Amino acid sequence: MSQQSRISGGLIDRSQTHSFTFDGRRYEGHAGDTLASALVANNVRLVGRSFKYHRPRGIFTAGSEEPNALVELRSGARREPNTRATAAELFEGLEAASQNWCGSLRHDLLAVNDLFSPFLSAGFYYKTFMWPKAFWERLYEPIIRAAAGLGRLSGLPDPDSYDHGYLHCDILVIGAGPAGLAAAMQAGRSGARVIVADEDFRMGGRLNAETREVDGMAGAAWADSAVAELAAMDNVRLFPRTTVFGVYDHGIYGALERRTDHLRDGEDGPRQVLWQIQAKRAILAAGAIERPIAFPGNDRPGVMLAASVRTYVNRYAAAPGKRIAVFTNNDDGWRTAIDLSAKGIGIAAIVDTRDTEPLTDIPGAAIVMGGRVTATRGRHGLRSITLAGGRTIETDCLAISGGWNPNVHLTCHHRGRPEWRDDIAAFVPGPELPAGMTVTGAANGTLTLGAALADGHNRTSSTLMGLGFRSGGAQPPRGDDEAASVSAFWHVSPGKGRAWLDLQNDVTVKDLKLAHQEGFRSVEHMKRYTTLGMATDQGKTANVPALAIMAECTGRTIAETGTTIFRPPYTPVPIAAFAGRSRGAHMRPVRLTPSHAWAEEQGAAFVETGLWLRAQWYPRDGETHWRQSVDREVVQTRNSVGICDVATLGKIDIQGRDAAQFLNRVYANGFAKLAVGRARYGLMLREDGIVMDDGTAAHLSENHYLMTTTTANALAVFRHLEFCRQCLWPNLDVHLISVTDQWAQYAVAGPNARKLLSKLVDQDFDISNEAFPFMACGEITVCGGTRARLFRISFSGELAYEIAVPARYGDAMIRALMAAGEEFDAVPYGLEALNVMRIEKGHVTGAELEGRTTARDVGMGRMVSADKDCIGKTLSQRPVLVAEDRPVLMGFIPVDRSQTLDAGAHFLSSGVAAVTENDEGWMSSVCHSPILGHAIGLGFIKRGRERVGETVRAADPLRGKETLVEIVSPHFLDPEGERLRG
Amino acid sequence: MADITLTAREPFDGIRLETQGVTLSGVTGKALVSAAIPNGGEARFAKSLQAAYGVSLPAPGATTLSRDGATLLIGLQRDQIFLMFDRTDDWPERSVSGKLGDATCVTDQSDGWVMARIAGPRCRKALERICRLDLHPEVFAEGAVARTLMEHLNVIIWRDGAESCQLLSPRSSASSFLHALETSILNIRQSGTFQLLT
Repeated sequence: MSQQSRISGGLIDRSQTHSFTFDGRRYEGHAGDTLASALVANNVRLVGRSFKYHRPRGIFTAGSEEPNALVELRSGARREPNTRATAAELFEGLEAASQNWCGSLRHDLLAVNDLFSPFLSAGFYYKTFMWPKAFWERLYEPIIRAAAGLGRLSGLPDPDSYDHGYLHCDILVIGAGPAGLAAAMQAGRSGARVIVADEDFRMGGRLNAETREVDGMAGAAWADSAVAELAAMDNVRLFPRTTVFGVYDHGIYGALERRTDHLRDGEDGPRQVLWQIQAKRAILAAGAIERPIAFPGNDRPGVMLAASVRTYVNRYAAAPGKRIAVFTNNDDGWRTAIDLSAKGIGIAAIVDTRDTEPLTDIPGAAIVMGGRVTATRGRHGLRSITLAGGRTIETDCLAISGGWNPNVHLTCHHRGRPEWRDDIAAFVPGPELPAGMTVTGAANGTLTLGAALADGHNRTSSTLMGLGFRSGGAQPPRGDDEAASVSAFWHVSPGKGRAWLDLQNDVTVKDLKLAHQEGFRSVEHMKRYTTLGMATDQGKTANVPALAIMAECTGRTIAETGTTIFRPPYTPVPIAAFAGRSRGAHMRPVRLTPSHAWAEEQGAAFVETGLWLRAQWYPRDGETHWRQSVDREVVQTRNSVGICDVATLGKIDIQGRDAAQFLNRVYANGFAKLAVGRARYGLMLREDGIVMDDGTAAHLSENHYLMTTTTANALAVFRHLEFCRQCLWPNLDVHLISVTDQWAQYAVAGPNARKLLSKLVDQDFDISNEAFPFMACGEITVCGGTRARLFRISFSGELAYEIAVPARYGDAMIRALMAAGEEFDAVPYGLEALNVMRIEKGHVTGAELEGRTTARDVGMGRMVSADKDCIGKTLSQRPVLVAEDRPVLMGFIPVDRSQTLDAGAHFLSSGVAAVTENDEGWMSSVCHSPILGHAIGLGFIKRGRERVGETVRAADPLRGKETLVEIVSPHFLDPEGERLRG
Repeated sequence: MADITLTAREPFDGIRLETQGVTLSGVTGKALVSAAIPNGGEARFAKSLQAAYGVSLPAPGATTLSRDGATLLIGLQRDQIFLMFDRTDDWPERSVSGKLGDATCVTDQSDGWVMARIAGPRCRKALERICRLDLHPEVFAEGAVARTLMEHLNVIIWRDGAESCQLLSPRSSASSFLHALETSILNIRQSGTFQLLT
């Protein structure tokens, strides 16, 4: 029979039936059910096995605090382990499976662990498996690891999509129970911008689970009307299925919205959205969570929290038992008996730990005041309970109520400490709340309905006034205050058998006492040693009873014992939600040069350099190895002409009356006298005297310069210049703006470079060697009037130019250059050939200017002008930076010319051990020089300039390689620079 | 040699995307020029701005349309504004310096950025997926402009209408920026059709 435990009433939609499977068996439920409530309606009591002892476990709660009913939800790549059945909304076709068993759920072979429980007590892995020592890593640990864990991950990429977003509001209301809705109404009516977030799919909180009235209406109906009114307000946004999981700085709250978890696979956009909510004020109305009482055998399926039993009956019309007993230390437990009895469910007994008068009489129920439950029976589900004194009562569901814990979690995210209140025997938020947060209702210890409604209303009024809004309405919603007296009764003792505290981690009262006995007396130590309060539920039901027992052990009060620190997230947040849309290729932005589309057409191999994708080489048909492509590009460039996209270099437009002086101060070499129409190589030092970057500055017109930087340092240099301009020399008239993306720029290098460019540069402009010599620059036009800039600068050592056009012409320009170069057999060359040519020429890049080297180290000591000051000059003269034996830049070639070289190798003299003490320097850049026909390298070696011709060892212990190399000049090719001036 | 002419290619040329309540369109053909105010030249700059464009200097965070409606002046920082107008040649900064005087430091920025306009009643919902700024009209009113980050990318955003914004982001990362915008629009769609028109 389907849904045999379904009863009348409730807030489910019986017109919509959803079929679902649990452990492969088909069941039916309704819209408005959770997986847990549908299982209750179908009388499924055993839903999982416990973590350590594999004890049979059932549904314990009706909310996100659930420690027991963890299932694997969905299948295939979408299988998600450790999902709380109590928080999973039912949908048509839902598939769920129990977890953490071997064999079957009913007959779990690993239940044998329970027999060995004396060996598996708190901290057992620190004690039990100590001998023999060698067994730990090889035997014990693998076995324990294999047995540990609950559900299984799919092991497949997550097929769902996730997103993130940013929200802003005046007031964020966290929780839409009675206090939260009263707060939201008040805030909404004031005109403030309000966000209401609630983890449930149906707003209303406990109102949906109770039979109480608000403003003369059924509580759930009042909640519906409040939600409808809020939904109609333009200034209010409602976020059901949204958990505010963390409080961060400056009023930022983290929230996870589960948008499609309640739908079938992959429907309708991102599954979950991670929101950053920036709120001027937050009203925390997170409610309270009921806590259990520990007693022997309290973990059997059928033992549930009393208010959760009431939730299943009132909200979901599902009866967790036919004959229910209540074990309580407070008035609220009686409400469960009253509500259930009104629904016609048999009440077997009410056992109240307090020796007082019964609150009411329930027909047919045994009322036991001052009673204790001392044992339970029933292997896969509760059959009976035994009371102190030996009386046994037949029951299939025991509803336990140990009082309510205000949800203080979010109040502690800025290190606030909760305070103990004796009158409700619970922790409430302390005085140090996150800035802008107000706590109301049950979360603040106001546990009765009428008071919570008024509290939500009144505290919001004060908050609104603080923000300058008028109050939304004069009167709070009305509700009665129920009886809510509670006693501080935590566990039944002494008792025979194990009394469970943390159901998820299988921690018992005895474990806690053992931890104390072994010296773990701080609550934080207790938590780590016993694992109480860890895992997905973070001990939401277990913590306070555990603290009470800790307090008993130490002879302190609970207030003195204190709580462990609450940290985000409040409930688990999938890593996928944190990643959001930043997955795969979209993890970070990509920057493309203007010739990218053309380079793709050529089949270029690309390499990531920072965010840029740069062409590394351009393979041609028949080339099977990258070296073939690179060698060809180098040889062809040196023999005729090659073209390289250099748009990635940083370009900074510098203008102002004091621009020249500014450059003179930021560069180590002089710029004061650079003529208009000329460019100059510039070396920039950090304040500490180390080289920061190099590049060129071109003097375009009076008071107007264009600086280029290396690709990697474009941003760092710009930031440095802004700092200099704004903070060091605010009186200078200098203006900076990046033009990196404004210009497409191509290096045209090789003996035929001028001939090629002459075909494109408009006739008005003379680019002959005389009119446009080495280091000339100027504004020109190309291809019949298109704006361009030409710079005669050379990184390759060849006769070379860099030509720039506005980026929108960049694609056309590379095609024009290649077309014009056809008669010279021009080649495009990539980053790799560029690198080979600059090593051949002895030019430095980031491999040499790597943040530890000085101008002197790289052979440019004389560039640091003696005639002027510049940033870094003073500190570059520190003794350690001018020491004679500092490694300096030199060239290296293998003694056996057939050998290759490795960057990162360290130089050693012959006959010494490869240890740090004997280190003489390192190889920074290497390549095969197709022009010289062998490997060459640049590197730093002590007193290198005195040692030309000497042979040293290039030792590379990482690769297990050692090569004999000869120290040579770093300028392998055309040291006099005749080619580039040609 | 003039037998080769260069044809412009714009990353956002022809981009148009429409879905429920949001339209994204690429904006091309605009000149964008930065104008920096010389130290000590503030009064003179304001005067020439008034004479040339008939408006006063927009404060950082504000945009102003010139009196003839042809130029949008975008206040970005204390000593710098952007001017946007229809592009007629490759030297747009010359027309600005012609109006504001040689002392103004002008730089062509037209090709440094791509521009898109996002409009429609749900455009704010799409932007809230990537924009950290509060774009509520009471906070970010028509005419307001801000520099911000979206998906790690530098963005200049201004509100050019009750339900529309213009966005500038660096040209080299245009494809990533477009992806960020498209994803945001796609991710807020309710069940129904989605058209990508290019």
